[in-house]
Amino acid sequence: MAERRRIVPYFLLGPGTIWLLLFFVVPLFYMGYLSLESGVVGSLSFSWNWGNYSDALSLYDTQFARSFLYSGLATLICLLVAYPLAYTIAFRAGRWRNALLFAVVAPFFTTYLIRTLAWETILSDQSPAVDALRFVGLVPENGHVLATGGAVIAGLVYNFLPFMILPIYASLEQIDERLVEAAKDLYASSRAAFLRVTLPLSAPGIVAGTLLTFIPATGDYVNAQFLGSAGNQMIGNVIQSLYKTQLDYPAAAALSFVLMALIMVVVLVYIRFAGSEALMGEENL
Amino acid sequence: MGRGAPAALAAAVTALVLAVGLAACGSGGGGEGGTVKLEGEPSGKLTISNWPLYIDSGKNGTVKEFEKATGIDVKYIEDVNDNEEFFGKVQPLLEQGESGGRSVFVVTDWMAKRMYDLGYLQDVDKAGIPNVEENLLPSLRHPGFDPERKFSVPWQSGMGGLVVRTDLAPEVRSICDLFDPKYKGKVDFLRELRETVPLVMTCEGVDPEEATEDDWMKAIEKVEAAVESGQIRHFTGNEYTRDLSSGDAVAAIGWSGDAVQLQAENPNIEFRMPEEGCSLWSDNMVIPVGAPNPTAAEAWMNYVYVPKNQAKIAEYVNYVTPVEGVKRIFEETEPELAESDLIFPSAEFTRDCFTQTQLTEEDEAPVTRAWNAVLNG
Amino acid sequence: MRRGRSGGAPRGAWRWLREHAVNIVAALVVVYMLIPIAVILVFSFNDPAGKYNFTWVGFTLSHWGNAFGIPELNSALLTSLKLALLATVVSTAIGTLMAIALVRHRFHGRRAANLLIVVPMATPEIVMGASLLSFFIILGTPGLGFQTLLIAHVMFCISFVVVVVRSRLIGFDRNLEEAAQDLGATPLETFRLVTLPLIMPGVFGGALLAFALSIDDFVISNFNSGTTVTFPLYVYGAAQRGIPVEVNVIAMILFGVTVLAMGATVWQQRRAEKMSEVRPDQEAMPPVAIGAAEAA
Repeated sequence: MAERRRIVPYFLLGPGTIWLLLFFVVPLFYMGYLSLESGVVGSLSFSWNWGNYSDALSLYDTQFARSFLYSGLATLICLLVAYPLAYTIAFRAGRWRNALLFAVVAPFFTTYLIRTLAWETILSDQSPAVDALRFVGLVPENGHVLATGGAVIAGLVYNFLPFMILPIYASLEQIDERLVEAAKDLYASSRAAFLRVTLPLSAPGIVAGTLLTFIPATGDYVNAQFLGSAGNQMIGNVIQSLYKTQLDYPAAAALSFVLMALIMVVVLVYIRFAGSEALMGEENL
Repeated sequence: MGRGAPAALAAAVTALVLAVGLAACGSGGGGEGGTVKLEGEPSGKLTISNWPLYIDSGKNGTVKEFEKATGIDVKYIEDVNDNEEFFGKVQPLLEQGESGGRSVFVVTDWMAKRMYDLGYLQDVDKAGIPNVEENLLPSLRHPGFDPERKFSVPWQSGMGGLVVRTDLAPEVRSICDLFDPKYKGKVDFLRELRETVPLVMTCEGVDPEEATEDDWMKAIEKVEAAVESGQIRHFTGNEYTRDLSSGDAVAAIGWSGDAVQLQAENPNIEFRMPEEGCSLWSDNMVIPVGAPNPTAAEAWMNYVYVPKNQAKIAEYVNYVTPVEGVKRIFEETEPELAESDLIFPSAEFTRDCFTQTQLTEEDEAPVTRAWNAVLNG
Repeated sequence: MRRGRSGGAPRGAWRWLREHAVNIVAALVVVYMLIPIAVILVFSFNDPAGKYNFTWVGFTLSHWGNAFGIPELNSALLTSLKLALLATVVSTAIGTLMAIALVRHRFHGRRAANLLIVVPMATPEIVMGASLLSFFIILGTPGLGFQTLLIAHVMFCISFVVVVVRSRLIGFDRNLEEAAQDLGATPLETFRLVTLPLIMPGVFGGALLAFALSIDDFVISNFNSGTTVTFPLYVYGAAQRGIPVEVNVIAMILFGVTVLAMGATVWQQRRAEKMSEVRPDQEAMPPVAIGAAEAA
């Protein structure tokens, strides 16, 4: 009986592990192999070509910087925008909770591309929305919103907002309201109660949300392609172009690894700074 | 890590072994061209890949007429947006000797040559295209990139120049005008290296047909500066038509025939011959390796070289037609079109134009690299 | 508490504003999230002159009537649906098994397995798509197409299914299983008759999430599809030439269907909970969060 118990989990895990190993881990090794090749398409040869990596860093440093800038700003804005909404849904929504959660998730159900293209229509130079912004003075007379870094960041914020809202909501929702009441009983003001009790308790959600937003946003290219101009290209656009148009697979592969490595560095620093229990999702067994 | 470590290590090693082992199985080799083998009467299915806005579409369009005349079932896809982009899409297939179902596609001169040199195209069998032999314009019979017309049959020729919103930017008349800060952020350039950069060269007074690598690099730098200053909105394939339609761009480097078809969207769009001159090019029908139905492909080529059929196309697309005899037809039926500079450009109209220059082998790599760096932002 | 300055009405209004500031911001955010959907809906009724659907020209229902009139669009949609269905079935099965193993059993390599599940969720899609492309390129076979798409989709769905099912399993009352076994059920029977039905909502939620992710996927599909065209890829291609209004219509239909499906899940969840009298759970992961955590 005990023997069978010990094998069972491996059977259960088997298919999934094999699939993930074969189609997630192994391809990464393949990409590594590609990244060390040299030559042109049709005649690639493996040659420990670390030059691809140094080229990646030197040729595309602007795009890397730009990607981190855009995704960093987008993540920050997402956080500021998402928190009030998550808070409202968790504590103040009552009957409307489900409807609000639905509203948060709803944009997901229209294709990613289509909603980005919708923003292209909304922010087009001649659109009423942009005219209004010009009227208010937020946009100069001859200025345009589309084809700027701002539009790209706005697109990133919009598309990743659900990833920020839901984890924060989940963690706020688990807070025992009696703790907040207790704080108030001890003469804390609403604001102090929030800052000293609610906010820290929602930290895991904040950490999860920021990571779930920042990481994919850095590698995104759809927003930059449709909402940005020639000068707003992110590293994702470069990788896509290298793979699909220029067919420079070694450079593309090297660039992908550099991107992963850089993201990982930022994430590790962030976790060290923010505390790590939130990430691994330890459950009680 | 403790208990987890051995398992993780085992997994990593397994993955590595798998990867190295499987890497030994490389990909298949590329196809060699060879000549098209015609088989009996044309029939069956035919898939054609072409550029957008390049044919009279619709219920009474050329495709439908061809289907009626031959009984062939045509799938006409407009998925050639940009030569390099299309190459990137089909190259992995062509390398394996496949064409993704296509029997004919249309690419510009220099791309046709590149594909042919890589063994991705078949030679056409001239026996299957007598109309081409008879009606091809003399000036197009012996081009530099395919002197015997072994693998390419011109689809249309055209001019690269200025496409302008006359209501928003009426004063744009030369390539240099595109760099005017007045239009910052409202100008689109083509991604095609051999289209955009020579035109920019003309703005600097250089003759593209005599350009040195240095001239190319200088022109590329000028474009790069324009990107950094925010002058250029997008580098496009055909999408500049969208920006012009919506008014997000007021002027673009674009293609002569597009403007006419865009007028359905907006009557204020016009092709303007730049003061410095334009670039002349031809797009060619080619038959790739692995084409499922080359017989039908040649039947298609033959069909569109009948002057009557070609006139239908020319009337709609307004590009330079490669077929002799169309002008005579228009003189009877559509006299204004017979006079159109876009379809039958006079020597005077194109006096400053240059043919799309072939980059020399040694210049090609560094120039392409430099250009790609600009495109990547 | 703080005493404000003098002045009756304005002070009252200001206080009301401060108290409700959070709610107001929240409301604005919700409106913001729904704007593009509204735009897509509105423009599905547009009647443009040419190919481009940017500026409002006039109202027409003809595109709604012609929703399935474009052959390439239909075949792309069908491909997407087939792909999503297959990917969902496979990834849900695999993922559920994994979740059970991770929650219920102690074994060597649990940490590593956990890591293997979490890392794909944290990898940028472009890296996953690009590495799979590299893999398929070097391997040479299978050729890029439906099979490679399926492989890719299952791969990125597994992690999400595991997380959803796992969160459902954690709140699961083991006593029920023990009771079943005390009454003589074998472990397999217990699983089949007790556990599985009770975690069904979680499994279903995971499946729904997988389906949504697969149907919507663009980046990974863009890299690994070859000439196969899914719905998002069709839209991408059309974006360069002019998107037909029917695309908006189909997008709205997809939206509507998914809304209904979600509503059905929520309704079904509540029924299941009432019938089995399991403690109302806290489901922590999107989008199954809806409905489960009820105060009443």
